[in-house]
Amino acid sequence: MELDSLKYVWHTLEVQPQGDQSSEQQIIALLHKRSTGPVARMRRNLLAELILVLVTYTPAMLFYLFDFEGRLSGIAWLFGLLMVLFAGYYYRKNRLLKEMQCVGCQVRSNLQRQVGTLKKYIRFYTLAGTFMIPVMTIITYLIIRWKFPPSPGSALFYRISGTPWWQSPLSWLGLLVPATIGIYYINVWYVNKLYGRHIQKLQELLQEMEEE
Amino acid sequence: MQEPAVQEEFVKLVQQHHAMLYKVCRLYCFSDHDRQDLFQEIIVQLWKSYPKFRGESKFSTWLYRIALNTAISDLRKQRRRITPLDPDHLPTQLQDMQYPKEQEEQLQQLYAAINQLTEVEKALVMLYLEDRSYDEMEEILGINQNNLRVKMNRIKEKLRKLTKETAYGIGQP
Repeated sequence: MELDSLKYVWHTLEVQPQGDQSSEQQIIALLHKRSTGPVARMRRNLLAELILVLVTYTPAMLFYLFDFEGRLSGIAWLFGLLMVLFAGYYYRKNRLLKEMQCVGCQVRSNLQRQVGTLKKYIRFYTLAGTFMIPVMTIITYLIIRWKFPPSPGSALFYRISGTPWWQSPLSWLGLLVPATIGIYYINVWYVNKLYGRHIQKLQELLQEMEEE
Repeated sequence: MQEPAVQEEFVKLVQQHHAMLYKVCRLYCFSDHDRQDLFQEIIVQLWKSYPKFRGESKFSTWLYRIALNTAISDLRKQRRRITPLDPDHLPTQLQDMQYPKEQEEQLQQLYAAINQLTEVEKALVMLYLEDRSYDEMEEILGINQNNLRVKMNRIKEKLRKLTKETAYGIGQP
């Protein structure tokens, strides 16, 4: 028997719609459920991340803005800058997630779109996660130098006794570079752990569709 | 939120194509729970995309695209962690079906063979068994017709081998 003859089995044995009254209500009930697909879950996680940042950073910002007689307001603005950066980060990721899926498109083009957008998403995730740390460290360092300038006699003192390593910006830069490289690899590992298998499977599916 | 008239129209269309949606769920999921989850997800995706449906293709073509895209892209094979529906409120078509024993065996053998295929092959077999033309298959999957024919021949051969010793006797002289 050939596959064609299985069509009979397929058509006759499979369930036929009954179209009873209750099923209409059941379908309507399903319309109000939220999506549980991977992209919908990623978007929900991103929103939760945004809410967490707002909830934790806003009180910290207000604290530094009004406490210490406003002398540490620079740190408050640092938190403000962080929130602005995070808003940009959120906007970009959310836009990529919106673009990621086109369920009404052809299966192949939807897979191509998912693979391409997921790769962009991963690249952005890795780079943003990596550069956020050194950029914020440098800004923090500059704010501390601005708010807590060295005392007038310290230059003479260090010239006599020698400058300790932690006073040298070059030492900090020397630490920041390997730390940034380390953070980059941690990010790569983490992103791969999160999306590696998913993207690999999508690529395999796409390859299967494209091969002659 | 879409208008009640649109909702009513949508529900009717879904009811008309209910069996096809169930077949997709049956092909791509192994457990009843996963099938119900996938069914729910397909309905949610259909409803979200419905305002964009402009009738440029047949409704069934559009439906197949969304159902297959949802099933293929959503690669979770394990039980999904979502709030399950109350079993009393599940669509009746998704509850266990009872067929005559012989027919049930035939159906199981057919699914057992198809279950050994890849996700893409399953989609092709499903469309083939559903009597979709190669034109429509191309429109749904985005694979050109020559490639589709080559793939279909390979799948037929694969299924013959897979079911060689089953009660269907596929591939037997």
